[in-house]
Amino acid sequence: MTTAVLTSPIVPVPGPGPRTDGRLTGEATLSGGLTALIGALGLALGLSVVFGGARHLRIGWLLPLVGVSFDLDPLGGVFIAATGAVSIAVGIYAIGYAKREHWARFPMVTLPLFVTGMLLVPAAGSVTTFLLAWELMAGASLVLVLTEHRRDAVRSAGAFYAIMTQLGFVAILIALVVLSAAGGDTFSAIATHAADITPGTRTAVFVLTLLGFGSKAGLLPLHAWLPRAHPEAPSPVSALMSAAMVNMGIFGIIRIDLQLLGPGPHWWGLTLMIFGAISAVFGVLQASVATDLKQLLAYSTTENMGLVTLALGAAALLSSSGAPAVAAIAMTAALLHLLSHSAFKTLAFLGAGSVLSATGLRDLDKLGGLARRMPATTVLFGIGALGASGLPLGAGFASEWLLFQSLIHSPHGANTVLALAMPLSVGAVALTSGLGILAMVKAFGVGFLARPRSAGAEAAREAPASMLAGMTLAAAACMVFAVAPVLLGPTLAHVLAVLPTLGGSAEGPRLGTILRLPGVDGSISPGVIAGALIIAVLTSVILARWGVRHRPPAVVTPLWACGADALSSRMQYTATSFAEPLQRVFDDVLRPDTDVEVTHFAESQYLIEKVTYQTRLDDPVEQRFYVPVVRAVTAWAQYVRRAHNGSIHLYLSYGALGMLIVLLVAR
Amino acid sequence: MSWLGKIRRVGPMVEPAPAAPEVTLPPPTGITGSLQLRHVDAGSCNGCELEISGAFSPVYDAERFGARLVASPRHADALLATGVVTHNMYQPLLNTLHALPEPRIVIAVGDCACNGGVFTKGYGVVGPVGDVVPVDVEVPGCPPTPQEIITALRKVTGR
Repeated sequence: MTTAVLTSPIVPVPGPGPRTDGRLTGEATLSGGLTALIGALGLALGLSVVFGGARHLRIGWLLPLVGVSFDLDPLGGVFIAATGAVSIAVGIYAIGYAKREHWARFPMVTLPLFVTGMLLVPAAGSVTTFLLAWELMAGASLVLVLTEHRRDAVRSAGAFYAIMTQLGFVAILIALVVLSAAGGDTFSAIATHAADITPGTRTAVFVLTLLGFGSKAGLLPLHAWLPRAHPEAPSPVSALMSAAMVNMGIFGIIRIDLQLLGPGPHWWGLTLMIFGAISAVFGVLQASVATDLKQLLAYSTTENMGLVTLALGAAALLSSSGAPAVAAIAMTAALLHLLSHSAFKTLAFLGAGSVLSATGLRDLDKLGGLARRMPATTVLFGIGALGASGLPLGAGFASEWLLFQSLIHSPHGANTVLALAMPLSVGAVALTSGLGILAMVKAFGVGFLARPRSAGAEAAREAPASMLAGMTLAAAACMVFAVAPVLLGPTLAHVLAVLPTLGGSAEGPRLGTILRLPGVDGSISPGVIAGALIIAVLTSVILARWGVRHRPPAVVTPLWACGADALSSRMQYTATSFAEPLQRVFDDVLRPDTDVEVTHFAESQYLIEKVTYQTRLDDPVEQRFYVPVVRAVTAWAQYVRRAHNGSIHLYLSYGALGMLIVLLVAR
Repeated sequence: MSWLGKIRRVGPMVEPAPAAPEVTLPPPTGITGSLQLRHVDAGSCNGCELEISGAFSPVYDAERFGARLVASPRHADALLATGVVTHNMYQPLLNTLHALPEPRIVIAVGDCACNGGVFTKGYGVVGPVGDVVPVDVEVPGCPPTPQEIITALRKVTGR
């Protein structure tokens, strides 16, 4: 996030243009094709579970002692289907991307494995299987993040990601071990014994799983791996991680905390809402001031997962406060937003990948002018950005509208918690949506429109067909969310039916051609809005064409440059200058480190030779929370090091001591 | 609500409008009372600028006669040029004129803009505005009073 007018460090990324050797093209096709095939199977399986009902599968021999058990229900099914759909688009895209970027064999093998891991997590029917699938997913994603491990930034991001994801896993591991000690190994056993679990155990499990799953979903303050790993990972992997893997964090929260342990006390829902709101606002603020395209998208993931968590918390809180109808709206909003986020974030990351592979640039301050050079990618990224901004005709509109409706129409009456939490949430969501539009306008306007700001952007070429095909699939999904959420209605109704404590007991919102909300006054029709807008645009175009015949011929004059001779690309808005007013407003939160250095001529201090402006935006949460923790751990590690003095005798005595303890304990 | 009472007591502050002058130049767009002006200081001492801002102040209120200052030449019908044209402002003045959509007119305000004034033989001077761009209306005076500027503008706006 460093920007300087005169001395800008260029992010070292692989250069544009294909290198001549094409040794692994067959492998790339195989890897991408396999990923897409697994994704298609996942989509089919997920949909069949959602509509066909629950299925159980137990493979006893696969894992010693406990075996592997799968338990498919509509909730898991919808996550499997979403992951599968993302994988189809990413798999097709990866064929072209892996060829163009000359992937090694290792990431190509890992890509289908990663997708498999992600598909197994929501299918898991027992604690053991769940943890196994979770680790497969986490390990495979780490390998993929490290694809370009020869760059320092990638290795640093990989280390950060590895530590955070494993710490999160430890939290989940402890929580699920505690849970299975209280209720049994399989989720169905836990569900039947849920009533016997003590409140203390419930609280411990909730807090630990919120930490573990929250870090996977990128919620504050455990989001720090996202803006590091997402930009440094190859773009198809970023898309998979951001559109499918973070969903697993949300899945964990729904499955363990809200479905198995629910209904929880009031403060569970409230906690989820607070974490969600803070994540959403902070994520979108960071996205608005980010200058790295992929980092912007990564922070936008934190924002959207925050919104989903807020909606989940609202559903839990409303349901436990005796308003199941409104809770059903909030829960539908959460699921719909999760799914639409998967669609538009896949598209946005794949678009960013096309830009990166065509220009070698992620820095928005150096991009621009891509609309002429990469028209198809520009249109496709535009559809994704529109979706992320939550405006009508965008994929995120219907879900954000539902979320607003559920928050606005919550019946509070004498309930002080609801009366306070809901209006504050409306404020947080409104701020988030507004700033989200700003972030996406910046990403699209500065990144793709106007004139190129560097030679790399000037030399951009359109992405190959397979990459465009992958993006087109994701764009088609975005259009479905944007104009026809009616197609998602039956799926969400089936999922809601298995979540009785989250509003499933009441009639959910009817996602027809017109979205109707039973119990509250509110209806909207994205399809009709889209139709009316298209008709309005067509009418004005036709009228303008018709009017042109009565006008004198157009005259070409030079562009107005405020009296100067010619416009140059340096006169354009950059991402930094576009976000500067916002950065000024939120100075206390963002804490930018600005450095202005003025060099005078030797003859007179009134004459200025040059001005160097440098601004650096570090994540304030990272600076406040992570640096002290890392410092403390390092200090403690120094003490532990004294026990590792390199003497083989000492180590042998450690081993003997350990053996002795084990013998004593296991006696 | 004392401010309401104050408004009522003070009444309108604007100078009464004198009789309309005879129209010497038809409005460039053919619509009377709608003259959008882009002002360019080609090298003025800022005396004329003070008087122009006076002319558009609430006291003289040129806008009630249909003339208006705009921020971009793309929005303008006429160029309001002040000062003698210096070497530094020669090209920007031409660029601004070319940025104005046709039909357009040029109004030169002040002696310097009309004939060079006291700066005629200066070392950094190209010449009066008329030497650089075709001038349609001239407002003499060093500086012209707001009333004179308004009278010249009314001759174009037709109000």
